[in-house]
Amino acid sequence: MAVIIKKFPVAYCILLIFPLLALAALPAAAGEFTAGERRKILRHGPWPLSAVPDPSNRVSGKPAAIAFGKALFFETRLSLSGTISCATCHRPDAGWTDGLARSRGHEAVDRNALSLFNLRVNRWFGWDGAQDTLWAQNLRPLIDKREMGVGATGAARLVRADGRLACGYRQAFGEAPGANDERVFVDLGKAMAAFLETLVTGRTPFDDFRDALARNDAAGRARYPAAAKRGLRLFVGRGNCAFCHFGPAFTNGEFADAGVPHFAGPGRADPGRFGGIRKLRKSRYTLLGGFNDDPARSTAVKTRHVRLAHSNFGEFRVPGLRNAALTAPYMHAGSLRTLADVVRHYSTLDEERLHAGGERILRRLDLSAQEQGDLVAFLETLTEREPGPKVGRRNGDLQCR
Amino acid sequence: MIRRRLRGPAVAATFALVLTAGSTAACERPQGWTGARHIAGKTWSAWWRSAPAAIPIGAHFSIRFRLCGPPVRRVRVRGWMPVHRHGMNYRPGVTLSGRSGAAEGLLFHMPGRWQLILDIAGDAGKEKLTAETVLE
Repeated sequence: MAVIIKKFPVAYCILLIFPLLALAALPAAAGEFTAGERRKILRHGPWPLSAVPDPSNRVSGKPAAIAFGKALFFETRLSLSGTISCATCHRPDAGWTDGLARSRGHEAVDRNALSLFNLRVNRWFGWDGAQDTLWAQNLRPLIDKREMGVGATGAARLVRADGRLACGYRQAFGEAPGANDERVFVDLGKAMAAFLETLVTGRTPFDDFRDALARNDAAGRARYPAAAKRGLRLFVGRGNCAFCHFGPAFTNGEFADAGVPHFAGPGRADPGRFGGIRKLRKSRYTLLGGFNDDPARSTAVKTRHVRLAHSNFGEFRVPGLRNAALTAPYMHAGSLRTLADVVRHYSTLDEERLHAGGERILRRLDLSAQEQGDLVAFLETLTEREPGPKVGRRNGDLQCR
Repeated sequence: MIRRRLRGPAVAATFALVLTAGSTAACERPQGWTGARHIAGKTWSAWWRSAPAAIPIGAHFSIRFRLCGPPVRRVRVRGWMPVHRHGMNYRPGVTLSGRSGAAEGLLFHMPGRWQLILDIAGDAGKEKLTAETVLE
Protein backbone atom coordinates (compact mmCIF):
# COMPACT_ATOMS: atom_id res chain seq x y z
CA MET A 1 0.00 0.00 0.00
CA ALA A 2 2.82 2.42 0.98
CA VAL A 3 4.48 1.81 -2.36
CA ILE A 4 1.34 2.56 -4.22
CA ILE A 5 0.93 5.79 -2.33
CA LYS A 6 4.54 6.86 -2.91
CA LYS A 7 4.38 6.13 -6.57
CA PHE A 8 0.93 7.46 -7.11
CA PRO A 9 0.21 10.56 -5.00
CA VAL A 10 -3.19 10.79 -6.69
CA ALA A 11 -4.06 7.41 -5.28
CA TYR A 12 -3.09 8.72 -1.86
CA CYS A 13 -5.40 11.64 -2.26
CA ILE A 14 -8.23 9.39 -3.33
CA LEU A 15 -7.64 7.06 -0.41
CA LEU A 16 -7.65 9.97 1.98
CA ILE A 17 -10.37 12.13 0.53
CA PHE A 18 -12.87 9.57 -0.64
CA PRO A 19 -13.77 8.31 2.82
CA LEU A 20 -14.12 11.90 4.02
CA LEU A 21 -16.42 12.76 1.14
CA ALA A 22 -18.36 9.60 1.70
CA LEU A 23 -18.77 10.50 5.35
CA ALA A 24 -19.89 14.02 4.50
CA ALA A 25 -22.52 12.74 2.11
CA LEU A 26 -23.73 9.96 4.37
CA PRO A 27 -27.40 10.18 5.23
CA ALA A 28 -27.66 10.94 8.87
CA ALA A 29 -28.79 7.64 10.22
CA ALA A 30 -27.82 8.73 13.71
CA GLY A 31 -29.62 12.05 13.47
CA GLU A 32 -26.59 14.00 12.27
CA PHE A 33 -26.59 16.04 9.11
CA THR A 34 -24.26 16.11 6.15
CA ALA A 35 -22.14 19.21 5.52
CA GLY A 36 -24.48 20.22 2.70
CA GLU A 37 -27.55 19.84 4.88
CA ARG A 38 -25.90 21.83 7.67
CA ARG A 39 -25.23 24.72 5.30
CA LYS A 40 -28.86 24.70 4.20
CA ILE A 41 -30.14 24.55 7.77
CA LEU A 42 -27.90 27.35 9.00
CA ARG A 43 -29.27 29.79 6.47
CA HIS A 44 -32.66 29.66 8.25
CA GLY A 45 -31.23 31.84 10.99
CA PRO A 46 -30.15 33.52 13.12
CA TRP A 47 -33.43 34.70 14.60
CA PRO A 48 -34.71 37.26 15.37
CA LEU A 49 -33.47 39.63 12.71
CA SER A 50 -32.44 43.12 13.68
CA ALA A 51 -35.12 45.77 13.25
CA VAL A 52 -34.61 48.34 10.52
CA PRO A 53 -37.06 51.26 10.31
CA ASP A 54 -38.98 51.61 7.05
CA PRO A 55 -37.62 54.75 5.35
CA SER A 56 -40.89 55.25 3.45
CA ASN A 57 -42.69 55.73 6.77
CA ARG A 58 -41.48 58.69 8.82
CA VAL A 59 -42.97 57.28 12.04
CA SER A 60 -41.66 53.71 11.67
CA GLY A 61 -40.20 52.58 14.98
CA LYS A 62 -41.44 55.62 16.96
CA PRO A 63 -43.08 54.64 20.28
CA ALA A 64 -45.83 57.29 20.04
CA ALA A 65 -46.77 56.04 16.57
CA ILE A 66 -46.73 52.42 17.74
CA ALA A 67 -49.15 53.30 20.56
CA PHE A 68 -51.39 55.29 18.20
CA GLY A 69 -51.31 52.51 15.59
CA LYS A 70 -52.26 49.98 18.21
CA ALA A 71 -55.30 52.07 19.20
CA LEU A 72 -56.31 52.38 15.54
CA PHE A 73 -55.94 48.62 15.01
CA PHE A 74 -58.66 47.94 17.58
CA GLU A 75 -60.87 50.91 16.58
CA THR A 76 -64.26 49.74 15.30
CA ARG A 77 -65.27 53.25 14.25
CA LEU A 78 -62.87 52.85 11.34
CA SER A 79 -65.57 50.73 9.68
CA LEU A 80 -68.74 51.91 7.97
CA SER A 81 -70.94 49.96 10.38
CA GLY A 82 -68.91 50.90 13.45
CA THR A 83 -68.67 47.22 14.37
CA ILE A 84 -65.53 45.96 12.65
CA SER A 85 -61.89 46.65 13.41
CA CYS A 86 -58.68 45.23 11.98
CA ALA A 87 -58.68 42.88 14.97
CA THR A 88 -61.97 41.32 13.80
CA CYS A 89 -60.07 39.33 11.16
CA HIS A 90 -56.63 39.54 12.78
CA ARG A 91 -57.26 38.37 16.33
CA PRO A 92 -54.29 38.55 18.71
CA ASP A 93 -55.50 35.38 20.44
CA ALA A 94 -55.74 33.44 17.17
CA GLY A 95 -52.29 33.94 15.66
CA TRP A 96 -53.40 37.34 14.30
CA THR A 97 -55.81 35.65 11.93
CA ASP A 98 -59.42 34.56 12.40
CA GLY A 99 -59.50 30.79 11.95
CA LEU A 100 -61.87 31.11 9.00
CA ALA A 101 -61.15 29.78 5.53
CA ARG A 102 -62.28 33.03 3.93
CA SER A 103 -62.56 36.06 6.12
CA ARG A 104 -65.64 38.16 6.70
CA GLY A 105 -65.91 41.88 7.30
CA HIS A 106 -69.21 43.44 6.24
CA GLU A 107 -69.28 40.63 3.68
CA ALA A 108 -67.29 37.50 3.02
CA VAL A 109 -64.15 38.03 0.96
CA ASP A 110 -62.34 35.66 -1.40
CA ARG A 111 -59.24 35.08 0.68
CA ASN A 112 -57.97 33.86 3.99
CA ALA A 113 -56.80 36.49 6.50
CA LEU A 114 -53.01 36.39 6.54
CA SER A 115 -51.36 36.30 9.92
CA LEU A 116 -49.56 39.49 10.94
CA PHE A 117 -46.38 37.88 12.25
CA ASN A 118 -43.05 39.23 10.98
CA LEU A 119 -44.57 41.63 8.46
CA ARG A 120 -41.56 43.88 8.70
CA VAL A 121 -39.48 41.44 6.64
CA ASN A 122 -41.98 41.35 3.75
CA ARG A 123 -41.12 42.74 0.35
CA TRP A 124 -44.75 42.69 -0.81
CA PHE A 125 -48.00 42.67 1.16
CA GLY A 126 -51.22 40.72 0.81
CA TRP A 127 -51.74 37.37 -0.89
CA ASP A 128 -51.25 39.01 -4.28
CA GLY A 129 -48.61 41.55 -3.32
CA ALA A 130 -50.73 44.43 -4.57
CA GLN A 131 -49.09 46.70 -2.00
CA ASP A 132 -45.40 47.45 -1.72
CA THR A 133 -45.47 48.82 1.83
CA LEU A 134 -47.09 47.82 5.07
CA TRP A 135 -48.69 51.25 5.40
CA ALA A 136 -50.36 50.90 2.00
CA GLN A 137 -51.57 47.43 2.91
CA ASN A 138 -53.27 48.89 5.99
CA LEU A 139 -55.31 51.27 3.82
CA ARG A 140 -56.79 48.54 1.63
CA PRO A 141 -59.40 47.13 4.09
CA LEU A 142 -60.33 50.65 5.15
CA ILE A 143 -61.28 51.36 1.53
CA ASP A 144 -62.87 48.00 0.64
CA LYS A 145 -66.56 48.14 1.60
CA ARG A 146 -66.68 44.35 2.01
CA GLU A 147 -64.17 44.71 4.83
CA MET A 148 -64.22 47.98 6.81
CA GLY A 149 -64.92 50.50 4.07
CA VAL A 150 -64.69 53.73 6.06
CA GLY A 151 -62.71 55.41 3.26
CA ALA A 152 -60.25 58.28 3.42
CA THR A 153 -62.77 60.98 4.22
CA GLY A 154 -64.54 58.99 6.93
CA ALA A 155 -61.30 58.02 8.61
CA ALA A 156 -59.85 61.53 8.53
CA ARG A 157 -63.06 63.06 9.91
CA LEU A 158 -63.11 60.57 12.77
CA VAL A 159 -59.52 61.31 13.77
CA ARG A 160 -60.00 65.07 13.59
CA ALA A 161 -63.25 64.95 15.60
CA ASP A 162 -62.29 62.45 18.30
CA GLY A 163 -60.20 64.02 21.06
CA ARG A 164 -58.34 60.82 21.98
CA LEU A 165 -57.45 59.90 18.38
CA ALA A 166 -56.53 63.49 17.49
CA CYS A 167 -54.21 63.50 20.51
CA GLY A 168 -52.70 60.20 19.39
CA TYR A 169 -52.13 61.61 15.92
CA ARG A 170 -50.43 64.71 17.38
CA GLN A 171 -48.14 62.61 19.53
CA ALA A 172 -47.24 60.34 16.64
CA PHE A 173 -46.75 62.93 13.90
CA GLY A 174 -45.87 66.05 15.90
CA GLU A 175 -48.78 68.07 14.53
CA ALA A 176 -52.57 68.08 14.51
CA PRO A 177 -54.32 66.17 11.74
CA GLY A 178 -54.52 68.55 8.79
CA ALA A 179 -57.35 69.39 6.42
CA ASN A 180 -56.19 67.06 3.66
CA ASP A 181 -58.24 63.90 4.16
CA GLU A 182 -56.04 61.69 2.04
CA ARG A 183 -52.85 62.73 3.79
CA VAL A 184 -54.37 62.06 7.23
CA PHE A 185 -55.71 58.75 5.93
CA VAL A 186 -52.28 57.63 4.71
CA ASP A 187 -50.78 58.68 8.05
CA LEU A 188 -53.20 56.34 9.81
CA GLY A 189 -51.82 53.52 7.67
CA LYS A 190 -48.32 54.54 8.66
CA ALA A 191 -49.13 54.60 12.39
CA MET A 192 -50.70 51.14 12.13
CA ALA A 193 -47.62 49.96 10.23
CA ALA A 194 -45.43 51.18 13.11
CA PHE A 195 -47.52 49.02 15.44
CA LEU A 196 -47.59 45.94 13.20
CA GLU A 197 -43.82 46.07 12.70
CA THR A 198 -43.49 45.16 16.37
CA LEU A 199 -45.29 41.81 15.97
CA VAL A 200 -42.22 39.67 15.69
CA THR A 201 -42.21 35.99 16.58
CA GLY A 202 -39.93 34.83 19.35
CA ARG A 203 -37.37 32.07 19.53
CA THR A 204 -38.44 28.55 18.66
CA PRO A 205 -37.13 25.02 19.31
CA PHE A 206 -35.82 25.08 15.73
CA ASP A 207 -33.80 28.25 16.45
CA ASP A 208 -32.20 26.59 19.48
CA PHE A 209 -31.31 23.57 17.37
CA ARG A 210 -30.01 25.67 14.49
CA ASP A 211 -27.79 27.71 16.81
CA ALA A 212 -26.55 24.55 18.53
CA LEU A 213 -25.63 23.24 15.08
CA ALA A 214 -23.78 26.49 14.33
CA ARG A 215 -21.67 26.27 17.50
CA ASN A 216 -21.26 22.50 17.26
CA ASP A 217 -23.03 21.94 20.56
CA ALA A 218 -23.89 18.23 20.71
CA ALA A 219 -26.02 18.53 23.85
CA GLY A 220 -28.06 21.35 22.31
CA ARG A 221 -28.56 19.37 19.11
CA ALA A 222 -29.67 16.32 21.05
CA ARG A 223 -32.57 18.20 22.62
CA TYR A 224 -34.28 18.59 19.23
CA PRO A 225 -36.79 15.77 18.64
CA ALA A 226 -35.77 13.00 16.26
CA ALA A 227 -38.96 13.32 14.20
CA ALA A 228 -38.33 17.04 13.72
CA LYS A 229 -34.76 16.27 12.56
CA ARG A 230 -36.07 13.82 9.99
CA GLY A 231 -38.66 16.37 8.87
CA LEU A 232 -36.01 19.07 8.63
CA ARG A 233 -33.92 16.82 6.42
CA LEU A 234 -36.89 16.41 4.10
CA PHE A 235 -37.55 20.16 4.20
CA VAL A 236 -34.07 21.14 3.02
CA GLY A 237 -33.65 18.06 0.83
CA ARG A 238 -36.04 15.86 -1.09
CA GLY A 239 -39.06 18.01 -0.26
CA ASN A 240 -37.54 21.02 -2.04
CA CYS A 241 -39.48 23.20 0.40
CA ALA A 242 -36.56 25.52 1.04
CA PHE A 243 -36.46 26.82 -2.52
CA CYS A 244 -39.45 29.01 -1.71
CA HIS A 245 -39.50 28.87 2.09
CA PHE A 246 -36.01 30.25 2.24
CA GLY A 247 -34.03 32.15 4.86
CA PRO A 248 -34.66 33.09 8.49
CA ALA A 249 -38.34 33.95 7.91
CA PHE A 250 -38.88 30.80 5.82
CA THR A 251 -40.06 32.72 2.77
CA ASN A 252 -38.34 34.12 -0.28
CA GLY A 253 -40.87 36.95 -0.24
CA GLU A 254 -42.20 36.08 -3.69
CA PHE A 255 -45.18 34.25 -5.19
CA ALA A 256 -45.85 30.75 -6.43
CA ASP A 257 -48.51 28.55 -7.90
CA ALA A 258 -48.89 25.83 -5.28
CA GLY A 259 -51.43 23.82 -7.24
CA VAL A 260 -54.33 25.02 -5.13
CA PRO A 261 -57.58 25.72 -6.99
CA HIS A 262 -57.95 29.45 -7.47
CA PHE A 263 -61.62 29.72 -8.27
CA ALA A 264 -63.11 32.36 -6.03
CA GLY A 265 -66.66 31.32 -6.93
CA PRO A 266 -68.60 29.73 -9.76
CA GLY A 267 -66.98 30.89 -12.99
CA ARG A 268 -64.82 33.40 -11.16
CA ALA A 269 -61.05 32.97 -10.84
CA ASP A 270 -58.77 34.74 -8.40
CA PRO A 271 -55.94 36.07 -10.59
CA GLY A 272 -53.53 36.18 -7.66
CA ARG A 273 -50.21 37.86 -8.35
CA PHE A 274 -51.24 38.80 -11.88
CA GLY A 275 -54.03 40.95 -10.51
CA GLY A 276 -51.79 42.15 -7.70
CA ILE A 277 -49.19 43.66 -10.00
CA ARG A 278 -51.89 45.33 -12.07
CA LYS A 279 -53.43 46.85 -8.94
CA LEU A 280 -50.02 47.97 -7.75
CA ARG A 281 -49.40 49.80 -11.00
CA LYS A 282 -52.69 51.67 -10.74
CA SER A 283 -52.37 52.55 -7.05
CA ARG A 284 -51.64 56.03 -5.70
CA TYR A 285 -50.25 54.46 -2.54
CA THR A 286 -46.95 52.98 -3.63
CA LEU A 287 -43.29 53.72 -3.11
CA LEU A 288 -43.29 55.55 -6.45
CA GLY A 289 -46.11 57.88 -5.39
CA GLY A 290 -46.26 61.11 -3.44
CA PHE A 291 -46.85 59.53 -0.05
CA ASN A 292 -43.43 57.92 0.25
CA ASP A 293 -41.60 59.79 3.04
CA ASP A 294 -38.20 58.85 1.63
CA PRO A 295 -37.13 61.45 -0.93
CA ALA A 296 -34.41 59.10 -2.20
CA ARG A 297 -36.97 56.35 -2.92
CA SER A 298 -34.33 53.99 -1.59
CA THR A 299 -36.66 51.01 -1.24
CA ALA A 300 -38.55 51.52 -4.51
CA VAL A 301 -36.33 49.32 -6.69
CA LYS A 302 -38.79 46.41 -6.46
CA THR A 303 -41.72 48.55 -7.55
CA ARG A 304 -39.85 50.07 -10.47
CA HIS A 305 -38.71 46.72 -11.79
CA VAL A 306 -41.43 44.20 -10.95
CA ARG A 307 -42.37 42.22 -14.06
CA LEU A 308 -45.90 41.26 -15.05
CA ALA A 309 -46.05 37.87 -16.74
CA HIS A 310 -48.86 35.56 -17.71
CA SER A 311 -47.36 32.96 -15.38
CA ASN A 312 -48.25 35.24 -12.46
CA PHE A 313 -51.87 34.15 -12.89
CA GLY A 314 -52.81 31.93 -9.95
CA GLU A 315 -49.64 32.69 -8.02
CA PHE A 316 -49.99 33.66 -4.39
CA ARG A 317 -47.68 34.76 -1.61
CA VAL A 318 -45.16 32.27 -0.26
CA PRO A 319 -45.99 32.78 3.42
CA GLY A 320 -43.38 32.70 6.14
CA LEU A 321 -43.62 29.58 8.29
CA ARG A 322 -42.78 30.94 11.73
CA ASN A 323 -45.69 30.26 14.08
CA ALA A 324 -47.46 28.52 11.20
CA ALA A 325 -48.99 26.04 13.63
CA LEU A 326 -51.04 28.92 15.07
CA THR A 327 -52.46 30.25 11.82
CA ALA A 328 -54.71 27.56 10.35
CA PRO A 329 -56.40 27.21 7.94
CA TYR A 330 -53.84 27.47 5.15
CA MET A 331 -53.39 28.64 1.55
CA HIS A 332 -54.88 31.78 -0.01
CA ALA A 333 -58.49 30.67 0.36
CA GLY A 334 -58.04 28.61 3.51
CA SER A 335 -58.64 25.39 1.60
CA LEU A 336 -56.37 23.25 3.80
CA ARG A 337 -57.37 22.89 7.44
CA THR A 338 -54.21 21.63 9.10
CA LEU A 339 -50.45 21.45 8.59
CA ALA A 340 -50.91 17.72 7.95
CA ASP A 341 -53.30 18.63 5.11
CA VAL A 342 -50.70 20.99 3.66
CA VAL A 343 -48.01 18.32 3.72
CA ARG A 344 -50.42 15.80 2.19
CA HIS A 345 -51.24 18.33 -0.54
CA TYR A 346 -47.60 18.54 -1.64
CA SER A 347 -47.13 14.82 -1.22
CA THR A 348 -49.99 14.01 -3.57
CA LEU A 349 -49.73 17.12 -5.74
CA ASP A 350 -51.57 16.98 -9.03
CA GLU A 351 -48.91 18.40 -11.35
CA GLU A 352 -51.47 18.80 -14.11
CA ARG A 353 -53.10 21.50 -12.03
CA LEU A 354 -50.08 23.75 -11.98
CA HIS A 355 -50.11 26.74 -14.30
CA ALA A 356 -46.35 26.75 -14.27
CA GLY A 357 -45.68 27.77 -17.87
CA GLY A 358 -42.91 25.21 -18.16
CA GLU A 359 -41.48 25.80 -14.70
CA ARG A 360 -40.18 22.75 -12.89
CA ILE A 361 -40.12 23.45 -9.21
CA LEU A 362 -43.00 21.60 -7.64
CA ARG A 363 -43.12 17.85 -7.92
CA ARG A 364 -45.41 15.30 -6.34
CA LEU A 365 -43.39 14.16 -3.30
CA ASP A 366 -45.01 10.80 -2.60
CA LEU A 367 -44.06 10.89 1.07
CA SER A 368 -44.80 7.94 3.32
CA ALA A 369 -47.12 8.43 6.28
CA GLN A 370 -44.12 8.62 8.60
CA GLU A 371 -42.37 11.15 6.41
CA GLN A 372 -45.48 13.31 6.37
CA GLY A 373 -45.64 13.11 10.15
CA ASP A 374 -41.96 14.03 10.38
CA LEU A 375 -42.45 17.09 8.20
CA VAL A 376 -45.34 18.23 10.37
CA ALA A 377 -43.22 17.63 13.49
CA PHE A 378 -40.55 19.89 12.01
CA LEU A 379 -43.04 22.61 11.06
CA GLU A 380 -44.41 22.58 14.59
CA THR A 381 -40.95 23.40 15.94
CA LEU A 382 -41.12 26.70 14.05
CA THR A 383 -43.66 27.89 16.60
CA GLU A 384 -42.41 29.91 19.53
CA ARG A 385 -42.56 28.29 22.93
CA GLU A 386 -44.78 30.84 24.57
CA PRO A 387 -46.93 32.19 21.79
CA GLY A 388 -49.53 34.63 22.81
CA PRO A 389 -50.84 38.06 22.09
CA LYS A 390 -47.94 40.44 22.21
CA VAL A 391 -50.27 43.39 22.59
CA GLY A 392 -49.68 45.10 25.90
CA ARG A 393 -46.49 43.15 26.53
CA ARG A 394 -44.28 44.76 23.95
CA ASN A 395 -46.24 47.88 23.12
CA GLY A 396 -47.27 50.87 25.14
CA ASP A 397 -50.78 52.26 25.22
CA LEU A 398 -51.92 55.59 23.90
CA GLN A 399 -51.27 58.30 26.50
CA CYS A 400 -54.39 60.27 25.62
CA ARG A 401 -57.88 60.51 27.05
CA MET B 1 -18.43 28.15 -15.68
CA ILE B 2 -19.05 30.23 -18.73
CA ARG B 3 -21.22 29.43 -21.69
CA ARG B 4 -21.42 31.24 -24.95
CA ARG B 5 -23.71 31.20 -27.91
CA LEU B 6 -23.43 33.17 -31.11
CA ARG B 7 -26.54 34.02 -33.02
CA GLY B 8 -26.78 33.92 -36.82
CA PRO B 9 -26.43 37.51 -38.03
CA ALA B 10 -23.12 37.98 -36.27
CA VAL B 11 -21.30 35.12 -37.91
CA ALA B 12 -20.24 36.87 -41.12
CA ALA B 13 -18.94 39.89 -39.30
CA THR B 14 -16.96 38.06 -36.70
CA PHE B 15 -13.74 37.46 -38.63
CA ALA B 16 -13.23 41.12 -39.45
CA LEU B 17 -14.27 42.31 -36.04
CA VAL B 18 -11.74 40.33 -34.05
CA LEU B 19 -9.02 42.34 -35.77
CA THR B 20 -10.40 45.68 -34.66
CA ALA B 21 -9.41 47.61 -31.56
CA GLY B 22 -11.53 46.72 -28.53
CA SER B 23 -12.10 43.19 -29.76
CA THR B 24 -12.72 40.34 -27.36
CA ALA B 25 -9.11 39.18 -27.71
CA ALA B 26 -7.82 42.29 -26.00
CA CYS B 27 -10.39 42.69 -23.29
CA GLU B 28 -8.65 43.84 -20.18
CA ARG B 29 -10.17 43.92 -16.76
CA PRO B 30 -11.15 47.53 -15.95
CA GLN B 31 -8.89 49.13 -13.39
CA GLY B 32 -10.01 48.68 -9.81
CA TRP B 33 -12.57 46.01 -10.68
CA THR B 34 -11.30 43.52 -8.16
CA GLY B 35 -13.39 40.38 -8.16
CA ALA B 36 -14.92 41.15 -11.55
CA ARG B 37 -15.80 38.15 -13.71
CA HIS B 38 -15.27 37.72 -17.42
CA ILE B 39 -17.66 36.30 -20.00
CA ALA B 40 -16.27 35.68 -23.46
CA GLY B 41 -18.34 35.45 -26.61
CA LYS B 42 -17.28 35.37 -30.22
CA THR B 43 -18.17 38.94 -31.05
CA TRP B 44 -18.28 40.55 -27.65
CA SER B 45 -16.97 39.80 -24.23
CA ALA B 46 -17.70 41.45 -20.93
CA TRP B 47 -16.30 42.09 -17.51
CA TRP B 48 -19.00 42.35 -14.89
CA ARG B 49 -19.27 42.75 -11.16
CA SER B 50 -22.21 42.89 -8.81
CA ALA B 51 -23.11 45.12 -5.90
CA PRO B 52 -23.05 43.71 -3.32
CA ALA B 53 -20.03 41.69 -4.43
CA ALA B 54 -21.62 38.42 -3.30
CA ILE B 55 -24.97 38.07 -5.06
CA PRO B 56 -27.59 37.69 -2.33
CA ILE B 57 -30.55 35.31 -2.44
CA GLY B 58 -33.87 37.06 -2.22
CA ALA B 59 -32.56 40.62 -2.22
CA HIS B 60 -32.05 43.11 -5.00
CA PHE B 61 -28.63 43.65 -6.47
CA SER B 62 -27.15 45.57 -9.37
CA ILE B 63 -24.32 44.94 -11.78
CA ARG B 64 -21.87 47.04 -13.73
CA PHE B 65 -20.36 45.74 -16.92
CA ARG B 66 -17.74 46.76 -19.47
CA LEU B 67 -17.96 45.31 -22.96
CA CYS B 68 -15.21 44.66 -25.44
CA GLY B 69 -15.91 44.31 -29.14
CA PRO B 70 -17.67 46.33 -31.82
CA PRO B 71 -20.08 49.14 -30.98
CA VAL B 72 -23.14 48.14 -29.01
CA ARG B 73 -26.62 49.45 -29.62
CA ARG B 74 -28.57 47.71 -26.87
CA VAL B 75 -27.98 45.42 -23.90
CA ARG B 76 -30.65 43.53 -22.04
CA VAL B 77 -29.80 41.87 -18.72
CA ARG B 78 -31.79 38.97 -17.33
CA GLY B 79 -31.53 35.98 -15.03
CA TRP B 80 -32.49 32.39 -15.69
CA MET B 81 -32.65 29.30 -13.50
CA PRO B 82 -32.15 26.44 -15.95
CA VAL B 83 -33.08 23.56 -13.67
CA HIS B 84 -36.40 25.15 -12.72
CA ARG B 85 -36.87 26.80 -16.11
CA HIS B 86 -37.85 30.20 -14.83
CA GLY B 87 -36.38 33.66 -14.85
CA MET B 88 -36.54 36.55 -12.45
CA ASN B 89 -39.71 38.23 -11.26
CA TYR B 90 -38.11 41.58 -12.08
CA ARG B 91 -37.07 43.27 -15.29
CA PRO B 92 -33.78 45.06 -14.69
CA GLY B 93 -33.27 48.59 -15.98
CA VAL B 94 -30.11 48.94 -18.08
CA THR B 95 -28.16 52.12 -18.72
CA LEU B 96 -25.50 52.05 -21.40
CA SER B 97 -22.82 54.58 -22.18
CA GLY B 98 -20.56 53.43 -25.00
CA ARG B 99 -19.32 50.04 -23.90
CA SER B 100 -19.94 50.61 -20.21
CA GLY B 101 -23.20 49.82 -18.59
CA ALA B 102 -25.11 49.11 -15.43
CA ALA B 103 -28.24 47.19 -14.58
CA GLU B 104 -30.35 47.59 -11.48
CA GLY B 105 -33.36 45.72 -10.17
CA LEU B 106 -32.03 42.17 -10.38
CA LEU B 107 -33.23 39.65 -7.82
CA PHE B 108 -32.48 35.92 -7.68
CA HIS B 109 -35.28 34.62 -5.52
CA MET B 110 -34.12 31.05 -4.89
CA PRO B 111 -30.96 29.19 -3.98
CA GLY B 112 -29.41 27.09 -6.73
CA ARG B 113 -27.77 27.55 -10.11
CA TRP B 114 -28.57 30.81 -11.88
CA GLN B 115 -27.47 32.23 -15.21
CA LEU B 116 -26.81 35.93 -15.58
CA ILE B 117 -27.42 36.71 -19.23
CA LEU B 118 -26.39 39.75 -21.26
CA ASP B 119 -28.24 39.96 -24.58
CA ILE B 120 -26.15 42.25 -26.72
CA ALA B 121 -27.20 43.84 -29.99
CA GLY B 122 -25.18 46.00 -32.34
CA ASP B 123 -24.51 46.46 -36.04
CA ALA B 124 -22.33 43.36 -35.83
CA GLY B 125 -25.33 41.28 -34.86
CA LYS B 126 -26.64 39.81 -31.66
CA GLU B 127 -25.00 37.69 -29.03
CA LYS B 128 -25.95 36.16 -25.71
CA LEU B 129 -23.26 36.16 -23.03
CA THR B 130 -24.02 33.85 -20.14
CA ALA B 131 -22.32 33.67 -16.77
CA GLU B 132 -23.30 30.97 -14.31
CA THR B 133 -23.34 31.24 -10.56
CA VAL B 134 -24.48 28.93 -7.82
CA LEU B 135 -26.16 30.58 -4.84
CA GLU B 136 -26.27 28.69 -1.57
